Parts: sequence; C-alpha cells; structure tokens
Amino acid sequence: MLTTILKNGLTRRKLLGATAAAVGSAATASLLPKAAFAAGKVIKIGFLAPLTGPVSAWGKPGLDGCQIWAEWVNAAGGIKLADGNHMVEFIGYDNEYDPAKARTGATKLVREDEVKFIMMLGGDTWPGAQPVADTTGMLFSTLLPSDLSPDTTTLLAPAEVHPIYNVTGVEWLAENKPDLKTAVMCAQDDALGLPSVATYLAAFEAAGIEMQDAPLLFDPATTDFAPVVTKMLSTNPQIVCLDTAYSDYVHPICEQLFQQGYKGQIISCTADFYEQILEKTSVEFMEGFIFQFPDFDDPALNADFINFQEPNRFYEEYSKRHPGEWGAVSWEYASIMDLWRAAAEKAGSAEPDAVLAAMKEGGKGKHIFGDAEWWGKDLFGIDNALVGNWPVVVIESGKARIKGFKSIPEWYAKHGDLMKKHMAAYGQMWNQRT
Amino acid sequence: MVELLAQTGLNAIYAASYMSLVAVGLVLIFGVMGVINFAHGELFMLGAYTVVALYADFQLPFLFAVAVGLVFVGVVGLGMERALFRPLRDNPLGGLVASIGFLMILQALAVMGFGVRMEHVPPVTQEVIVFSEKVRLAVPRLFVIVAAVVLLTALWAFLKKTRFGWALRASAQDPEAAALQGISINQTSRIAMFIGAGLAGIAGALTAPLVSVNPYMGHSVIVSAFIVIIVGGIGSLEGAVVAAVAYAFVHTIVTTFWDGVIADIVGLSLMLVVLIVKPTGLFGTADRA
Repeated sequence: MLTTILKNGLTRRKLLGATAAAVGSAATASLLPKAAFAAGKVIKIGFLAPLTGPVSAWGKPGLDGCQIWAEWVNAAGGIKLADGNHMVEFIGYDNEYDPAKARTGATKLVREDEVKFIMMLGGDTWPGAQPVADTTGMLFSTLLPSDLSPDTTTLLAPAEVHPIYNVTGVEWLAENKPDLKTAVMCAQDDALGLPSVATYLAAFEAAGIEMQDAPLLFDPATTDFAPVVTKMLSTNPQIVCLDTAYSDYVHPICEQLFQQGYKGQIISCTADFYEQILEKTSVEFMEGFIFQFPDFDDPALNADFINFQEPNRFYEEYSKRHPGEWGAVSWEYASIMDLWRAAAEKAGSAEPDAVLAAMKEGGKGKHIFGDAEWWGKDLFGIDNALVGNWPVVVIESGKARIKGFKSIPEWYAKHGDLMKKHMAAYGQMWNQRT
Repeated sequence: MVELLAQTGLNAIYAASYMSLVAVGLVLIFGVMGVINFAHGELFMLGAYTVVALYADFQLPFLFAVAVGLVFVGVVGLGMERALFRPLRDNPLGGLVASIGFLMILQALAVMGFGVRMEHVPPVTQEVIVFSEKVRLAVPRLFVIVAAVVLLTALWAFLKKTRFGWALRASAQDPEAAALQGISINQTSRIAMFIGAGLAGIAGALTAPLVSVNPYMGHSVIVSAFIVIIVGGIGSLEGAVVAAVAYAFVHTIVTTFWDGVIADIVGLSLMLVVLIVKPTGLFGTADRA
C-alpha cells in the first residue's frame, strides 16, 4: 500500500513530514488546557425535516446552513450557559414530509438523543410530532405558523411567518406599480398553498387589486402546467401570482408563462434557484419578478438592525460548500438557532421551559430582519409567531435585490379583518383546522 | 374563446403524446408478459436522468441523449425481464411485487447518484411557434408530439407487418398456443420489455427539459398511466392510445375551464364509470381483464 502511495506521487520526505506534523498536532492538542468546553458538554439540537423526497428542498438546505452555524458557534467557544460552555451538535432525522415518520423521529430525538430543541419545517408533518410535544414539553419550532394553536404552547414560529409576510410583497407592488390593478393566482391544493392563497387574496384586496378569477388550484402531483397557465392568461391579467409553490412548480410555471407569451408582472412567495428560471426564460422576462427571500450576499443585509452573523460571509461559505443549492430555507433554521442561542444564554440553561420563557420575555424578540414581537393570537390562537419586518426582493438584471423592508404588524393593524375573512373562507383559521 | 380552445387543444395534444408513449409501453409489457409493471414510472424517470447526465451535465447533443435514453432504459427493461419477471413467470403476483421493489431501488439509485434536488435541464431551444398572440406551441413540446406519432406508428407497423410483431401479438393473445407454434416466450418477453421500457425511457428523456426532474417524478406518471390503461382496456394497445388521448383532452379541458383538482376527480370518475359500464375497458377483452 505504501509503495503504491509513494509511486503515485507522494515522496518519502513528504510522507515523513506529514506524519511528523500529525503527531505534533495530536501531542499539542493533548497538552492544551480544556478551557473552551469541557469534554462531554454538548447540546444536541434535533433537526426533524424532509431531507429526502419532493419537499427536501425545504429541509436539507436548512440542515446544511445549520452545520455552518454550528461550526462558527463552536469555533467561537460554543453556547455559554450557567454551567460553562457547550458545543452544539445537530441531530438530523429525515421525516420525508410524512407525519408518521415525523412522530417516530420526534420520539427518537427526545428519548434517545436527548435533544433540547427540535426544529421542523412543519406543515403536514406537524400533526405527527404534536403528540410528542404535548406529552414531553419539548420546545419545537416550525417554519409554518399555520401549525400554531393554543393546544401546544411549546411550538414557536420564530423565523418565518409564512404566509403572512407575503402581504409585504403585494404592498410594495401596489406602492411602486400603482397602474397594475388586475391579478390571477394559481396554487397547489395543500397545507402550504391554501393559507397563502388566503393571504394573497387579503393583500390584493387591501391594495385595491382585483382578482380576475378564483385562484386556480392544482393537484400537487401536477407536472404539466400548460393548461394552468393557459387558463390564467385567458383573462389578460396584469399580475400573475404564483402563491407559495415549491420550485418544482415555480420553474415550469414560469417557463410556461414565457412560452405562452406573458409579458406582465409576476409575484411569488419564493423563487428558489432563480438562475435556472432565468436560463429557461430570459433576463427581460424575469425583470421585476417580486418574491420574499433574499440572497444573503445582498448589501442591504449588512444594516445594523439585521440580527444574523455576517450574512454575506455565510452566503459565500454556503455557496462554496453547496454550489447552486442556496434556497429560501438555507438561512432560516440558522436564524432560529441565533434566537434560541440568545435565549439559552440569557436563561443560563438549555432546558426547553427555561429557553421558552427567556425567548418570550417581554413579548419582544430579535428577529433576523429586526426587532419583532410575539404575535398571532388573532390568527393562530396563540402569540407564538415572531413577527416584524420582512424584505421585499425584486429581480433586477438577473439578480435578486432587496428593495425594502416592510412591517407585517403595521399591515395587519390596518387590514387584519381582511386577512381573517379570507383565512376563514379557506378554512385556515386555527380553530377551523382539524 | 377560439384562441383559448385552440391553445387548450395544443396543450391536450402534447399531454396525450407523452401519456400515449408511457401507457402503450405499460400495456405492451402487460399484454405479452402478464405483468403489471409498477416500476414503469421509474423507467420514465431513468430516461429523464439520462438526459440530465448526458445533455445537462456532459453537454452532449440533446437528440443523442434522448436516443441513449431509449436504448439505455430498454436495456434496463431487458435486465428486469431476465432477473425479475422470468423467474416469477408462474407467480401471478410475483412480478407485480418485484416491480414495486425495483421501483424503490431505482428511486434510491437516483437519489444516490443525483441527490434529491430538482435537476436543472437547460432548454433545448426557446423557439416558439406562434399561431396567434394567444396560441403558441413551444418547439420542445412539438418534439414530444412528433416523436410520439413517429414511434407509435413505427410500433404499429412493427406489430402488424413483421414476424416479430406477429409473434408478440400471438404471445399476447395466447402464450401457450404461441409456444406450441414454436414462438419463444422468452424472446417475445425480451422484445416486449425492451420496447415497453424504451418507450417510457424516451418519453422521460424528451420531456426532461419541460418538467421537474427528480427521483420521485415517476409517481404522478404511473398514476395517470394506470387510469389510461384501465379506461382503454388492459392489454389493448389501441385502447391505450385512444384512452390517453381522451384522458388528456378531458383533463386539460377541465383544468382550463374549471380547476386542476376537479380535473383529477373527473379523470378518476371517468375510470370508475368505464369499470362499471365495461369492466374490461373500452378495448379490452375478458381474457386479460
């Protein structure tokens, strides 16, 4: 074996040098004082999300982002609690967006791995994990606040107030392109699409934009979107709204809009991997496309009110490790961990009840996009969603750029009744969900 | 309204084209071998990934990648026939169960090889045939339509005009009698599997730039294909084509004028009505039903 290695270009001198360096490093490490974190002091965090399967794009990139977060935090000394510093370790469990697997995973993470906090995508998988939360008191987070209800006080939506933040995109559109007055919308008929439909309907009504047709719902198994697009374009809309759709839908719908000659405004919750859409359409076609998730190399994220450690460097590191995989959730779970870490250090403990109390103290919190408040009693029956500003992102010359941050609570203070009306019409109020 | 109907018609023709390719392959395999190949959607997926690998990753010509997709998936079909279906020929449920297992293996291999993400396949061309402001047909969709017409015509000619085709039809009608006439059941099974799998492969390859390519893309295709072959009559190639066209038109029209979810309900209701009124399907015979 050694002969083979040497034949393949590694000289004896290099080998001896490397061996010496390795031995030296090991010796040095063994002599270092154990100051940074005591052996065995590791806090485990559960990551219970779809890591494979059709919805994995909203799980796996989040875990990848969390690994970078953990490396940075651990390198800086770890989490500082009352009993010393602790390293952070993420324990992933692939629930494949299946409620039964979510329940198994939640049980395993709590009972076997003894995690202190579990992050989920939520949605269809939350009902699976909910009994575990209720029986163990484990602190959970979801990206979908429509999972919130007074039944589970330990479920938080600390990063993403999906789909409520979609109102900011419509509000910005109405302010900046006031001549656009008619819209159509399509959405997949699922737990993600329907509350977003209600939100967009409320936002369009508040903005004085007329819906030309009822939202066109399609089966999540749809692969050919030509009929959907044909129907939407049949009324000559000025705005086409893509609701909150997975990239498997957003990309082919955009391509169809392009192929069927649409030249108007597009608004969407997400535009993950939008470079690929650009390649399938054109820079001109995508100009002005509005969505809600910035690239983290955006200079606007360097503002003082942003509560995220070095967003530009995070984006650079992420893109280096996972080229072309940056998406809406790449930063979200990491931003939840920022909030969790601040609360744990404030409480001096990683125990779920202590962290929860510290996190919600005073009803205020540091959301990634600025100061925010714990909110949601109206819509979710419990103030467990952290809501503040949200960015409006527009594609300009082929690149996503933040055009501004708009306040969700301010919009809701003016138009909350509209939101409740449309949520109720789609059966999405917390007390309507089964 | 005329433009809307015309555009809907073009959309339906495209949907009927790729659905016909998939359904006819599935029917051919069942007709000759008596096996319901649940992995047929994954053969479609393999064809799409062939294009991802050769056209998107290695930047080889698209048509070359499509041709390789046909042959490669056909060869995979040969492997399935030899390793899975032939040893289980006397077990009525064996082939079905084996195909379910194989579909999971193919999905897992796709995940291992390409990851779980949606694959990006660059457009072959952005050219669009413009009939009027609101009636357009993208050239890549035209490729699918032309390919379906050419391949299905060629298959029809093969089955009707060649000795191998006669052997296939004889095996489909009565395998024992065909064997007594000296027709090799193994050979006809191999031919059926190669053609059936190859059709699924080329359908996946041709549509790869138009759909989201991911390891689970076969699921939605197989569901529609089963509806089509049940409506057309299990075992009937003509029935598969007619049902694919009918299903595509009904689904597209209902989606366009009502809703995509209602279109699914209508499609399934159509299948139920056919099963109740004519349990063998529109063109099926009692032997294979």
